[in-house]
Amino acid sequence: MKRVFQHPSAPTSGRRYWRSADELADTPEFREWLEREFPSSAAQLNGDEWSRRSFLKLMGASVALAGFGVSSCRRPELHLVPFTKTVEWTIPGKFLYYSTAMPRRNGAIPLLVTTVDGRPIKLDGNPLHPASNGASDVFVQAAINELYNPLRAKRIAENGKTTTPAAFEKYLGDLRTKIGDGAGLAFLVEETHSPTRERIRGELEKMFPRMRWCVYDPLRSEAQNFATQISFGDNLRLVPRIERADVILALDSDFLDCGEGDIASSRAFSFRRRVSSGKDSMNRLYVVENRYTLTGAMADHRLRLPASQIPLVAHAIATRVATATKDSGLGSILATLQVPAGAAQFDEQWLNEAVNDLVSKSGAGLVLAGPQQPVVVQLLAYGINSALKNVGSTVLLRERHRNQRDNSILQLAGDIVGGRIKQLFILGANPVFNAPRSLAYDSTSKTWVDWPELQKKVPDVIRLGYYEDETSALSRWNLPASHFLESWGDALSSEGHYLAIQPMILPLFGGFSELDLLNAVMGKPKVDGPELVQETFQASKPNGDPATAWSKFLHDGFASHILLRDQPPAFNGNTAGGIAHNLWSPPGPAPTPESPEIVLVRDYSIDDGRYINNAWLQEMPDPITKLTWDNAALISPHYAKTLGVETGDLVKLTVKDFVPVTPPPAEGKPAPPAPPPSTPRELEIAVLVSPGHADNSITIPLGYGRASLTSVGESSGFNGYLLRTASNPHYIVADGKAIESIAVKKVGRKYPLSITQDHFSIEGRGLVREATLEHYREDNEFAKKIAGDDELPPQLPSIYRHPPLQSAQQWGMTIDLNTCTGCSACVIACQAENNVPVVGKLEVAHGRAMHWLRIDRYFASEHGYDQDKGELPEDPEMVHEPMMCQHCENAPCETVCPVNATIHSEDGLNVMAYNRCVGTRYCANNCPFKVRRFNFFDYNQRPVGKKKIAGALNVYKEYFAPFTEKGAPDTIKLSKNPNVTVRMRGVMEKCTFCVQRIEEAKIAAHVRAGASADDLRIPRDSFTTACAQACPNEAIVFGDIRDPESKVSKMKLQDRNYRLLQYLNVNTRVSYLARIRNPNPKMPDARKIGIASPNEKEEAKE
Amino acid sequence: MNMDGATTAPELTESEEIASPEQPLARPPLVLNRRSYGWITERISGAVENRAPRWWWVAFAFTSGIAGFGLFCLGYQISTGVGTWGLNHPVGWAWDITNFVFWIGIGHAGTLISAILYLLRQKWRTSINRSAEAMTLFAVICAAIFPGVHVGRVWMAWYLAPLPNNYGIWPNFRSPLLWDVFAVSTYFTVSVLFWYTGLIPDLATLRDRATSKIKRFLYGIFAVGWRGSNRNWRHYEMAYLLLAGLSTPLVLSVHSVVSFDFATSILPTWHTTIFPPYFVAGAIFGGFAMVLTLMLPARALFKLHDIITLQHIDKMAKIILLTGSIVSYAYAMEFFLAWYSGNQYERFAFWNRVLGPYWWYWWVGMLFCNCLSPQLFWVRWCRRNVLVVYFVCMCVNAGMWFERFIIIVGGLHRDFLPSSWGLFIPTWVDIWTFIGTHGIFLSLFLLFIRFLPMIAMSEVKIVLPESDVHRHDPVVPAEKERA
Repeated sequence: MKRVFQHPSAPTSGRRYWRSADELADTPEFREWLEREFPSSAAQLNGDEWSRRSFLKLMGASVALAGFGVSSCRRPELHLVPFTKTVEWTIPGKFLYYSTAMPRRNGAIPLLVTTVDGRPIKLDGNPLHPASNGASDVFVQAAINELYNPLRAKRIAENGKTTTPAAFEKYLGDLRTKIGDGAGLAFLVEETHSPTRERIRGELEKMFPRMRWCVYDPLRSEAQNFATQISFGDNLRLVPRIERADVILALDSDFLDCGEGDIASSRAFSFRRRVSSGKDSMNRLYVVENRYTLTGAMADHRLRLPASQIPLVAHAIATRVATATKDSGLGSILATLQVPAGAAQFDEQWLNEAVNDLVSKSGAGLVLAGPQQPVVVQLLAYGINSALKNVGSTVLLRERHRNQRDNSILQLAGDIVGGRIKQLFILGANPVFNAPRSLAYDSTSKTWVDWPELQKKVPDVIRLGYYEDETSALSRWNLPASHFLESWGDALSSEGHYLAIQPMILPLFGGFSELDLLNAVMGKPKVDGPELVQETFQASKPNGDPATAWSKFLHDGFASHILLRDQPPAFNGNTAGGIAHNLWSPPGPAPTPESPEIVLVRDYSIDDGRYINNAWLQEMPDPITKLTWDNAALISPHYAKTLGVETGDLVKLTVKDFVPVTPPPAEGKPAPPAPPPSTPRELEIAVLVSPGHADNSITIPLGYGRASLTSVGESSGFNGYLLRTASNPHYIVADGKAIESIAVKKVGRKYPLSITQDHFSIEGRGLVREATLEHYREDNEFAKKIAGDDELPPQLPSIYRHPPLQSAQQWGMTIDLNTCTGCSACVIACQAENNVPVVGKLEVAHGRAMHWLRIDRYFASEHGYDQDKGELPEDPEMVHEPMMCQHCENAPCETVCPVNATIHSEDGLNVMAYNRCVGTRYCANNCPFKVRRFNFFDYNQRPVGKKKIAGALNVYKEYFAPFTEKGAPDTIKLSKNPNVTVRMRGVMEKCTFCVQRIEEAKIAAHVRAGASADDLRIPRDSFTTACAQACPNEAIVFGDIRDPESKVSKMKLQDRNYRLLQYLNVNTRVSYLARIRNPNPKMPDARKIGIASPNEKEEAKE
Repeated sequence: MNMDGATTAPELTESEEIASPEQPLARPPLVLNRRSYGWITERISGAVENRAPRWWWVAFAFTSGIAGFGLFCLGYQISTGVGTWGLNHPVGWAWDITNFVFWIGIGHAGTLISAILYLLRQKWRTSINRSAEAMTLFAVICAAIFPGVHVGRVWMAWYLAPLPNNYGIWPNFRSPLLWDVFAVSTYFTVSVLFWYTGLIPDLATLRDRATSKIKRFLYGIFAVGWRGSNRNWRHYEMAYLLLAGLSTPLVLSVHSVVSFDFATSILPTWHTTIFPPYFVAGAIFGGFAMVLTLMLPARALFKLHDIITLQHIDKMAKIILLTGSIVSYAYAMEFFLAWYSGNQYERFAFWNRVLGPYWWYWWVGMLFCNCLSPQLFWVRWCRRNVLVVYFVCMCVNAGMWFERFIIIVGGLHRDFLPSSWGLFIPTWVDIWTFIGTHGIFLSLFLLFIRFLPMIAMSEVKIVLPESDVHRHDPVVPAEKERA
């Protein structure tokens, strides 16, 4: 019997109250009474003349079995007894909050979990900790959907057959005797930054000294770790201090992507973007990249270049910096690098002025290289930072002790081919799907082999997986992994803070945690509580009483007693130079239309593919392309014209390796033998024309195209991993060395892509307003003087007397476009908070996505373009604009509703009465912002409906109603927020300003006031909406606009504040703060920055 | 089957009748060939009393089949969700409301002919008013289907009714959709009464002529004891006049109210004060086209050339020309005002109408069908050529549907925020629901001509020369002198 120490309250699942006569009639008490009072009726009820004894026996058994019937997600024995004594703190229906952390590739994110009746329903950043400061990102927000995902692995299986935990224990016991000193033992794990795992690993290594420990993650940056080690020494991690940087240069680095980087970077960046008046200063961001990223969208200057040319740009910049600073460290790297004549040329003025800007802000600049760029680029970036005295000021060298004796997957592959691995534990990772291709050379068969063949060579493969996936299919044993919300653990944040991970719920499907399994491998007795973590924690010597310290650790979610230490800046230029010299393979000429480069990147929605079964994330529009449910090959409009393709056309990419070839050695490792000819790698993929993309470059987000999935991830996207090798993890370009040729061929077929926003020209409308910092300083009221606005009718007096809004508190919101990066955390937060249903790919294609909050994305270019005529801007500026119900005080939707289903509340909300709504859709038609969402089918009850069930008839599941199976899986029901109605079909829904949170705060205020009823007002800024809470950049501010001291009132007083479509006299409660860009006037592209709003001068010229 | 009745006299054409040298100023007769009361009764009752011709059965099987499939589509849509139609997020209304406005528009001509022309003493109305009114009713029935089933929760549609309830929640009286409910239901009720009142004398005729007991009983019930007495006629005439007076404002109000669905909203191209008159003119325009669309085949099939003469067709063509020109003027005025307003959203919306994704709807539907094709009616020959008239009527029928589609979908698919622009693509359910309403409409019409007199016999008889008690031949001056 698993008893969990300190576990949050168990939920109720037993019946405590009868709610109907039928329910009452089902209870044994009732039947007993019936038996006593009316014996004949009781016999009738049973359909037989039974004795009272057997009747009671049967009823007892039924009740016991009823427990098993609903026990699919919970252990029944814990709940047979209802809360006869209330669990401490638990008030049924009231939320409880616990701290935990979400382990991620670059460090864990401290979280605060909202639980109700023992179910976690919402995750947010831990406001006590600076690593999240209450903010979160899309993956944090979508973790709830991941936890309750009905597709999770649910069974222990041996060779595909379900078996029992006991059988596995027995097997493990037998295996342990075979392991011996661990010569044949290997662990393939993902990076979790868990100190407890490090500790257990140490113990394992003592037990099995020759075991191998391989950390693998398809997107983990080996290059960056290696370069850091070379440049600054072991046991270090670079921590950027972006808030200290005045000038930032990002070389293919998407550091504002919270999913990849961390929330703190984004926060720090936006901290320096926030302006309240023209007197404020801003940082300046230069970006060099091949595709539009979130970082590129925030750039003041953006240079689009093929990713394979970034090393040359880095070299060119480093040369200029070295000339300006005469730094010896950087000089010694550059001295070893030769750039061949005829290499691609870049915009000289662009580079010169950018470098001048960086040099002039010495010590307050920052150069960031993308983690996927090769070691030399990393070294150059470190060299530049060091030369500019940025190391130690804007980049810290944080000490981080960890066991560095990791194997790479390449080494592990070599060992497997050599037959040295007998027992392989795969914890979490999915190498069969995402390992680089041609991993090892098999000298017996004289072929290069991929991971699946390698895995088949290992006799005992034990897989701990969250889903039964490709890797499970090739593993002997499969164990279901528990979610981080179901297990004990710990982790370090990206900056090295020690964070607690505590379970919120018992494993729904009986999963194991990594720590459980490692502990079992050691043969130690099973622990059900936090003992393993506690041991690690106590070893860190907390102050005071250990039990109190532990409680505080769990309560706060982090340990503050562990000091973080930084090392003094010391760039090791000579070593770096030597390594750089060895690894430098100067890029060839720029890619051409005949031979483009292929860039493989992380996906904004599903990361490396791990979230492909997460319907929320699948349906989240990609922040840049607005594509849902798929990935696509992104190419520039110009290149699309050259290829003769448009969005949705399939192309075939063929990558041919050079024969014979000596592949470049993988970072510092011995070079593998020369490969024999390998078959060309091919991929058929749909094209998506993406303005702002570099020409002759194809970007493919990874993680899609998984053949073996059912339901959510089924037939979604194209598998970019098929093109990926260990030597080309990021970009593939025909350089005449490893890759012989890359060919792109139009297939001639189409693939349906579901894109939520097709039209991205703003059509000269003053919807997004922006200016340069210079312009803003000249004219701080620019946001109120937008060309075209003066032609609109002036605000006329209303002949209708609006009922006054009498409530003492009036709710409003501002959205600062200057700090919004478009990361979409708010979109998923809204979905999680408000039980927003997922509609499926087909329905998105029909334009029926249900997101209450969407992010509009527009492209603005210097010269206007007519998108209807097929004109697309090549190098535009990108702007984001979050759009939700604007809560118009004079709402057009309210007057037209025939049944009074949408009305105005006293505190200024435009509210929906779902029960009253009949669904005429008139309100949505009359909404100028098109934010009202109609539930066309029963989206909460229907399958996502991607699959054709009548073949060529093009009939999809949802269209088969009323014959379609209805109803949501039980676990999905558990994930719903009980304070928000789950809407049925035929009802209009929309943003409510999280009215459930407002009401909760109101009730709390009333309770506090008690009988006195003096001040029923909710304390200033004491709560906020889900989107505002999630926003990592505090771009969304919500509060009481009648209170002049509230944050939102102060934001609304700023001169950048404007309201959309005010000429309609709608008086929106949401207002936007105009965007300011900070271009360098000396840059050649300065004139095309800050041009999203219609320009007076241009209008005049025309 | 002798549809020709008793007459054997050679038939005269209309022009031959008019061109009587003695009566150069005489009005052309409304019934040709000096047909007698008996002939009219025989001819019109015959259509009801004789065995149904084979074409009727074929046509009815066809239209009721379509109607049945349309009803299946409705059932499917109600059981599954509004998503079975091609609606989406910018386009919340498309074919549903287009069809609604289309059918309501068609429902206009009947009551206009019956009521307004009656009050204006336009005697030529008598030969077409009965079937025009029936058409009105059937069109309103088809129209009423759409607002009923287009809502997301049909089973809650009664929330639109102002029923007292313990929550104290009333419908929103500010919403034009609610006005619609009242306007359409009032219109329907009054139209039914008006139609039925007009039918009473003819029902009595059928009762009196009925050969079987059942027919006599049923026609007798509906003829409410009509005896043709003076008293009967007095009350009848008064009731008919009152109902005509009551219907007249309704003709104008119904489509004005329907236009408020758009005019009171804030969308560019919807928010226009020109809509009420524009919609009423459009409704009469489309309604007359539909009357002709139905009457021309009926005239040929039942050989009613003497009752529905070229003169009638000519007059209706003139009304089509007039209302078509009003509609064209309204179109032009919309464009002018969009330009004159200087409002970029308005300007864009109209520009988008002409050049946007739905450009051909405008060029074909609105410009060619509605503005240009009726201009043929400036030519007398065209007004009196049945084939040309039929072609123009079909153009107008299609054009008016396109006009409503352009107003509704054209306004919705691209409004204020370019991020939310979209397109509407109809599904098979959309298409078949619309076709199905045509099936319902035509099936009802076929039933009507089968079981009720399609021409108001009593009224046609009233306009015969012999009904005029003061009738005498015009006095020719020469004769007077001789006398």
